[in-house]
Amino acid sequence: MDKILRINMGAKGGPKASEEPVGPYAGLGGRGMTSAVVAKEVPPTCHPLGEDNKLVIAPGMLSGTTAAMSGRLSIGCKSPLTGGIKEANSGGQPSQVLARLGYAAIVLEGKPGDDTLYKIFINKDGVKITPDNSLKMLPNYDLVTKMKAEYGDKITCISIGPAGEMKLGAASIACTDMEQRPTRHAGRGGVGAVMGSKGVKVIVLDDTGKTMRAPKDPVKFKEATRLWVKGLQGHPVTGQGLPAYGTNVLTNVLNEAGGYPTYNFKEGRFAGAAKISGEAQAELETARGGKATHGCHRGCVIRCSGIFNDKDGHYLTKQPEYETVWAHGGNCGIDDLDVIAQLDFLDDNYGLDTIEMGATIGVAMEAGLIKFGDGQGAINLIKEVGQGTPLGRILGSGAAVTGKVFGVERVPVVKGQAMPAYDPRAVQGIGVTYATTPQGADHTAGYAVATNILNVGGKLDPLSSEGQVELSRNLQIATAAIDATGMCLFIAFAIMDQPETFQALLDIINAFYGLNLTADDVTALGKSILKNEREFNLKAGFTKEQDRLPDFFKKELLAPHNITFKVKDEDLDQVFNW
Amino acid sequence: MGKNLTLTLKPDGLRTFSLLFQQGVIIKTQVGCSFREFLLRDLGLSYDFQEARIQTLFINGKAVDNPEKAIVRDGTTLALSGAMPGLVGATLRRGGSYASLRHTITLSEEEDNVTKKEGQVVLKLFNLLVSEIGPILLAKGFWIKGEDLEKFARNVQGDFWSHWSPVLLNGQKMNNQVLEQMVWAPKTEDPILIKITFSPDPSSL
Repeated sequence: MDKILRINMGAKGGPKASEEPVGPYAGLGGRGMTSAVVAKEVPPTCHPLGEDNKLVIAPGMLSGTTAAMSGRLSIGCKSPLTGGIKEANSGGQPSQVLARLGYAAIVLEGKPGDDTLYKIFINKDGVKITPDNSLKMLPNYDLVTKMKAEYGDKITCISIGPAGEMKLGAASIACTDMEQRPTRHAGRGGVGAVMGSKGVKVIVLDDTGKTMRAPKDPVKFKEATRLWVKGLQGHPVTGQGLPAYGTNVLTNVLNEAGGYPTYNFKEGRFAGAAKISGEAQAELETARGGKATHGCHRGCVIRCSGIFNDKDGHYLTKQPEYETVWAHGGNCGIDDLDVIAQLDFLDDNYGLDTIEMGATIGVAMEAGLIKFGDGQGAINLIKEVGQGTPLGRILGSGAAVTGKVFGVERVPVVKGQAMPAYDPRAVQGIGVTYATTPQGADHTAGYAVATNILNVGGKLDPLSSEGQVELSRNLQIATAAIDATGMCLFIAFAIMDQPETFQALLDIINAFYGLNLTADDVTALGKSILKNEREFNLKAGFTKEQDRLPDFFKKELLAPHNITFKVKDEDLDQVFNW
Repeated sequence: MGKNLTLTLKPDGLRTFSLLFQQGVIIKTQVGCSFREFLLRDLGLSYDFQEARIQTLFINGKAVDNPEKAIVRDGTTLALSGAMPGLVGATLRRGGSYASLRHTITLSEEEDNVTKKEGQVVLKLFNLLVSEIGPILLAKGFWIKGEDLEKFARNVQGDFWSHWSPVLLNGQKMNNQVLEQMVWAPKTEDPILIKITFSPDPSSL
């Protein structure tokens, strides 16, 4: 990964590709790379859909190696949804393939002068950029089928659906999985709209003829990888719970805790939760000949995904994640897994962020467009988005815009981005992260941790707001660092519980690159990423007023525990004081 | 006196109860004890099993950090889960490092001089614990309200009563058609005791 591919989509005479050494970005990967490039090269006050914004696509530091779990891809830009810096993250195959092709990043720059749509093909022989307006408004599944027919069955694709072409705020970027289905998405923040503004419909990658990236110290690398896999497989979350039930295993527990946002964040418990739980979903998938255990990329040993078939046993969609099941389920009062799976498929096909769309439909229900619990009504609304009707364009622009248009007060967004599936009144600490992360309301921003790089529960009273603030800060730092490696965030539990597994991760990085990184270096990496992101947002015009939750969380009591969000604004302002 | 139903469970029958266990079944027990004691005494779960496999516990929706100090009272709802993924999963975990992030929904430690008496609780099982503790509940028997039995019957695909043949009601073998016509949810009735006999052999479960 020693080169960066720059593609100027607005060059005179048509798009032009050029390769350059990584230069000042040497050693960076994933979110480290995307945030560094965006912070350095994108004017913070530019229009997100304009020529000055850049879309940076970066594999992680360990992508393309034989290290397990290293298949995450980061996609960064100025977000059209939040107006701040954005890193969206996806599984699937593209990260591995892009890394093996030798690219530390693809940077899409400029903007075409007309509405020509382009496809980009990259293999070991080079880069080919071709106009292809026959791809206009193709949904992702049809698009990938067409690309396979054209380029063969060894490809992997990074693409946008109709939502991205329409430059909608909830537009995602799809990445194909091991079965070449466009089921994995860099969902958050409207990154698909930026790709659409660059006139790029699909990037097709083929690493035929390339080999795995080789470590500097193969012997140490092999041993570290062995311990890494052993640690992951031996842990009850990564080795048992996630493979058996996927992330949707969280539904019953969050519901029991009274932190499951229900009916557009009105309540904390949903009566139908058990019917749409991970347990119910796994049973249904298995009974219909699908799979409850399935990896999204080669090298995944956790395999938290699955295959969801319809009533007749035909493929419908990948196993919907917890966030998707919540967003289209309890948040909307829908307790039917088949309806939720259909919504998941439509989101994937049109190229939409399932969290944003679920929250948006919840706001639409609050506005009275359809009733809570109306599954067919929700399906019809998503179809309007895919068709680009006026209502569809409003909905596809996200929960904040929809709330404004329809005069809804209870709109669960921070920095314009919809909140995920944990009510901050029940889990106050997650509210600190929602409010303060530069990414907007994001549950993965303060996600990963390792006990030996944190002073967990050490200096401050854990029940105090200061204790929560320090925890959120440390979690955000550690997560930013993990996001740079290309590792899936679900390693978090194993590395948190088992110091030897975190050490194995450090050893993998060190053996691959010939370094001697310590936990302090990991912390420093995380801090530098957050510093880049915070500074970009400040220059983009963000103030501390954007680091707040919507007012209703401080005023409306959340049943069943009847609580509000209690962390003070002045404490939120301390998160980035390190 | 309430009805008691004895159902015959075939080897793959446990998963039919999965939804029921997630929604909760009634256990009649001596309340006023600690959560730890309840798990040991009523479910036969050893200390080691509890420590290794039950990572997330709730009493009336409040997260429990210390099962020795958490008291099981009459009418409470208990929920058990294995380890959960993600930050929020870690946050809800028993005695976890991130417990402070959910302090507003944490069960406060209680005094242990609570009067012990006969009572009942609702017990919910989630994820891997359905298959690990579910068979214990089946063997022991549990109670269920008539309206929940009706919902259970509606949720099972196909002919519900044929799954459990032969079925005994208060010790008497019952015809499936008669069972289908029965009204299980009259307002004044006690919960129904569900007991299981295994066919062909318990070790096949």
